[in-house]
Amino acid sequence: MAVLEVVGAQVRIGDKQILHGADLSVDPGRLVAVVGPNGAGKSTLARAAAGLQRLSGGSVRWNGEDLGRIRARRLAMMRAYIPQRPRVPEGIVVREAVLIGRSPHLRPLERLGLGDRRAAEQAMERAGVLAFADRELVTLSGGELQRVQIAIGLAQEAPVLMADEPTSALDLGATSAMATLLRGLADDGLAVVLVVHDLALAAAVADEVVVISEGRSVACGPPAEVLVPAMLEEVWHVAAELETDGLGRTALHVRWLDAMAARSGVDG
Amino acid sequence: MSFAATERPVGAGLHAPAPRVSARRIAVVAVLSIALLAAVAASLALGSVKVPLNSVLDSLCGWLTGHHPPPIDREIILQLRLPRTLTALVVGAALGVAGALLQGSLGNPLASPDVIGVTGGAAFGAMVVILLSPASVALLPLSALAFGLLAAALVAMLSWTGRNAGGVGRLILSGIAVGSIFTAGTSMLMAVYPSRAPSAVMWLAGSLQTEGWGTIRNVAPYLGGGFLLAIGLMRPLNRLALGDEVAASLGTSPRVVRLAAIGAAAILASGSAALAGLLGFLGIVVPHTVRLLGGTSNNTFVVPVSALAGATLLTIGDVVARTVKAPLELPVGPMMVAIGVPLFLWLLRKAV
Repeated sequence: MAVLEVVGAQVRIGDKQILHGADLSVDPGRLVAVVGPNGAGKSTLARAAAGLQRLSGGSVRWNGEDLGRIRARRLAMMRAYIPQRPRVPEGIVVREAVLIGRSPHLRPLERLGLGDRRAAEQAMERAGVLAFADRELVTLSGGELQRVQIAIGLAQEAPVLMADEPTSALDLGATSAMATLLRGLADDGLAVVLVVHDLALAAAVADEVVVISEGRSVACGPPAEVLVPAMLEEVWHVAAELETDGLGRTALHVRWLDAMAARSGVDG
Repeated sequence: MSFAATERPVGAGLHAPAPRVSARRIAVVAVLSIALLAAVAASLALGSVKVPLNSVLDSLCGWLTGHHPPPIDREIILQLRLPRTLTALVVGAALGVAGALLQGSLGNPLASPDVIGVTGGAAFGAMVVILLSPASVALLPLSALAFGLLAAALVAMLSWTGRNAGGVGRLILSGIAVGSIFTAGTSMLMAVYPSRAPSAVMWLAGSLQTEGWGTIRNVAPYLGGGFLLAIGLMRPLNRLALGDEVAASLGTSPRVVRLAAIGAAAILASGSAALAGLLGFLGIVVPHTVRLLGGTSNNTFVVPVSALAGATLLTIGDVVARTVKAPLELPVGPMMVAIGVPLFLWLLRKAV
């Protein structure tokens, strides 16, 4: 049984239908990348699956249990969710922020115990942020900050980690470090859901990709089988080809200057 | 030689481990506690009649020391100075905590009880009694409390309905709108009843003159409830500091936390207004001072230490206000501003 199973998810915000019917399924030890053009509904799907956005149709099940029956704190022990643009408060050091990730495990007014501190230290070590645990969040670089967000999620000790575009603002080196971290976490046995728009990155780290287009999931499977030129043409309106070698290297060959022609060909 | 500096890795200064934070926080608490004790002692001993400290001690716990102070000293301490000192402590603590809760829950450094309309509402409640019905002045605290809470309830209702319900921007704008309605009402009343305006002005400036235990006994339960809520809110507010999305993913509803924080702040600020008039300055400056002193925004530090710092500052302000021109008593509000603002500005200069 999948830890997370989304079937036909629909989301309406105001009078606008954002998701028309999207599916998503994750198993332990697997990394699923949710890809698609801007505004297709990738983040909305992740937020709906994480219980942060109300469904107007379809179903979300965690370990076979309907999302609506799971209380917020219990849900927080089943999945960690790392938002796209987290707030960076002043006057908070990394260790304090990561300890906040322990909240689902604490009853109101319960003090942080040794176990909580140990879990936070482990999370910081795993995410590679222990070296700057005593620094204030506002002094960190984008890559460091994003790894702190992962550490906060890991401190929750949930079996599923969902991250919304964790690399969108990062440089090449920081992106690669984040990719290594997320892949490693899946190899450790976590189920990882990664919302990402970089297809070469998705192909390199994911066991499976789910393609979202105009609020629907249109394809799902191993990256090499799904991200074929016809799919890239249909969903992104570009003439492009994904290349993977056996060494974990990926490249997206794009005919950049034909993109507009391809798009107008489709639209017209 | 000149290369030595450039050979440091880029950002080495930033990577230097921060000094242990807890030592600094403990020092802040220790210094404030000592200042508080000194302020309380001064508040009990000083005034139009000076009572020696050992008489103060004997009056408070004669059963322990075995001495009996002169009855007149005992009377002054137990019926006048003690309720007044307690009022200063409680009001200072309540306003400090109210400010910390609002700044934490709204993520806005300018947040204070003014912003959620409480100050305007409480002032209007007091003016209704002072200006319309001065004979029933005993009802003043109750009226201030009731109108303060009414204003906060209106703000909550306005900002928790419709689109983007519970959003910070909506809340602050609703608060400003509701606050201005009550402020307009206050101005109108003062214009219509100019002969009674002087006593209204005294109340608005803030004063700790008490008639013994009556008022504080009535208001204490509300304040107690506000303080209890505040204790429960410290950690949820820390989650909110990481953003609504992170808080929600940790199982905490940002709207519920915000509503509870505003409710607690409204109770604390209205209760304070009922006891001591308008001392809004405390609510905005004390939490900032605490953050600057402690070098942290962690609410498990900022909320309780704001109580400590607010209590200390108001008690000192009150002692100064009634001794500097004794037997004339100056209003405590402006006095406290005169003491607090230079300290705050000095900290601000050091920090920014």
